[in-house]
Amino acid sequence: MTESTFDHPLKRRRLLSWFAFSSGQTSFLLGVLMLTSICLLAIVPSLLSLPKPEAMDLLARLSPPSEAHLFGTDHLGRDQLARLLAAIPISLGAAAQTMGIILAIALPWGLIAGLGSPRLDMVMMRLSDIIMAFPTLVLALAVIGFMGASLEASILGVAAAWWPSNARLIRALVLSAKERDFVRAAHMAGASRSRLVFRHILPQILPPLAVMISLETASVLLALSSLSFLGIGAQPPTPEWGAMLNEARPFFAQAPHMLLAPGIAVVMTVLAFNLVGEGLRDLLDKREPFRW
Amino acid sequence: MFRFFLNRFGATLPTLLGMSFVAFAIVTLAPGDPVQMELRAMGVVPKPEDIAAIKAEYGLDKPFLARYIHWLWRAVQLDFGTSIATGRSVIEEIGLYLPATLMLAISSLVGSIVISLFLGALAIMGNRLTASLLRAITILLVSIPSFWLALILIHVFILDLGWSRLVGEGDLSDLILPALTLSLGAGASLGRLVYERVRAEACEDYVRLAIAKGISPLGILISHIAPRIIGPLVTVWATTLGWMLGGAVIVESIFGWPGLGQLILQAIGQRDYPVIQGYLVLMGLVFVTTSLIADLVVVVADPQLRRRLHRD
Repeated sequence: MTESTFDHPLKRRRLLSWFAFSSGQTSFLLGVLMLTSICLLAIVPSLLSLPKPEAMDLLARLSPPSEAHLFGTDHLGRDQLARLLAAIPISLGAAAQTMGIILAIALPWGLIAGLGSPRLDMVMMRLSDIIMAFPTLVLALAVIGFMGASLEASILGVAAAWWPSNARLIRALVLSAKERDFVRAAHMAGASRSRLVFRHILPQILPPLAVMISLETASVLLALSSLSFLGIGAQPPTPEWGAMLNEARPFFAQAPHMLLAPGIAVVMTVLAFNLVGEGLRDLLDKREPFRW
Repeated sequence: MFRFFLNRFGATLPTLLGMSFVAFAIVTLAPGDPVQMELRAMGVVPKPEDIAAIKAEYGLDKPFLARYIHWLWRAVQLDFGTSIATGRSVIEEIGLYLPATLMLAISSLVGSIVISLFLGALAIMGNRLTASLLRAITILLVSIPSFWLALILIHVFILDLGWSRLVGEGDLSDLILPALTLSLGAGASLGRLVYERVRAEACEDYVRLAIAKGISPLGILISHIAPRIIGPLVTVWATTLGWMLGGAVIVESIFGWPGLGQLILQAIGQRDYPVIQGYLVLMGLVFVTTSLIADLVVVVADPQLRRRLHRD
C-alpha cells in the first residue's frame, strides 16, 4: 500500500528489476544459467580424475568431506561427488523420457479434442477425467506395483498419471487459439487442416506450452526422485539422487554429509526448471492490476 | 438445488465405473501369471493341470469382461479379495491403516490452507518487494522434495533439538512433523495461487469501480474479491487433498507414521496385487468424493450460481 496509483508502472519496474525477483527476466535467466551449469557438470567427471561412481573404498567408509573426497564417501566408501555427478544424466534423462512420453500422449490428445467434433471432445475429456480421478502419485505407485520396482516402471507410472492434466491444458490452449480471427480467416481461405494446425495453432500455443513443459519437468523430477527414495524407482547401485538418499537413511546420524549433497542436487535442479517456467510465465503475462 | 446435487452425483457414476475398470485392467495387463507366481511363492512346482484347476477355481479362465463384472460386483460390496502376503482380507488390511493416512492428509491440508492464506495475505498487503521475496521463497519451497525436507526436519527437531521423537505410535503430537512436511510446499504453492487469483481479480472493472467508490482496500478484498475467489480455491483444495494422499506414502515411510504408506510399499515389494488394487480403488473413491463435496461447496458459496439454481 506504499505505492500510489500515479506512479508510472514502467519506471517502477525498471528500477526494481535490478534487484527484485519478480521480474520474469531475472528468474528466467537464473534458471537457464543453473540448468546450463548442471549440464556442464555432467561432463566434468570425464575431465577431472574422479574415482568411478561405483568404485568402493571400504577403508574410507562414511568419511566426511576431505581433500581426497570433496563431498565425503558413503557407506560403501564410494565417492559422493562422483556419484552425484554421474546421477545428473540419469535423473535428467529419466525426467526427459517421462516428459517425452507425456507430451507424445498429451499433445495429440489435446489437439484432437480441441479441434475435433464436440462429441469426440467430450468422450476424450471424459476418458482423461477418469485417469485424473486418481491421485497422481497413487496411480503411479499402482502402475509400479504391477510392473515391479524399476526406473523404467517409475517413468511409465509417472507418465501414466501425469499426462491427463497436460492434455487438458493443451486442449484449453487449442480451444482459445482456434477462435482467433486469423485462424478463421485462414480456414475460410481454404487452408488445409494440417496447415491450420502447424502454421496457425501450434505457434500460438508454443509459448504457454513452454511454461507448462518447464514446470511439469520440475514436478516430474520431484516425483521420480521421490519414487527412487522409496526404493521403488532407480535401484541401487544406480547413482540417482533419490536412491542415494534412500541408501543414506540408515547412516543418517553418523554421516549427515550423505544427506545434504544429494538433497541439494535435487532442489537445485527442480528449482532451475521452476525458475525457467515461472520466469517465462511472467514474461508472457502482460496484465497490470488496478492499484489502490 | 436438490436436482443439481442429484445430477452432479449422477455424473460421477460413469467416472467411478471407468476408474474401477482402469484398476481392474491394470492387474490383468500386469506381466506374469499370478497363479504361477503364488504357487512358486508357496514353494510348489506347478503342473499344468494344477494351474488350470486353480484358474478354474478363481474364475481366471473366464473371458475378460465376465471377470470384470464379477470383480466389480464384489468390489461394490467392498470385497477386494485376500492379501497374498498376509492372507487377511484386503479391506480389513486397508481399514486398519486408512484412518491414520486420512488424518495425516486432512491435517496437512488444513495446515497448507492456513499457510497459504497467511502467505497470500502477506503478498497482497505488502509492496512489490515483499511480493517478490515471498515469491522467491515459494519457488524455493515447491522445489524441495518432501522426503528431503522430512529428513532435514528430523535431523533438526529430533536429533539436534530433541523436541520430538521418531516412533510410530500414532499420537497426535507425532502428527506435527509429518503434517508440517507435507503442508509447507503445498501451502507455498497454494499461497501463490491466492496471490495470483487476487491479482487477476484486481485487473477487473468491478475492482476499479470499488476503488472509485472509495471502499477501503481491506473492504474490497473481503467483500468484493473474496467471494469471487473462494470457489476456485475450494476446487484446488480438493485437488491438494489428492496430492496429500499420494505424498503421505513418502512422509509416512520416513516418520514411521502407521498409515497406508507402509502397507502399499510392502505390497509393491511383494507384488501383492489385491492390496494394490484395493488401495487404488479406495484412494480414487476418497478423491472423487472430495471433488464432489468441493463442487457442492462451490455452488453453495457462489451467490450467482445459487440464485440460478433456485430459479431452475
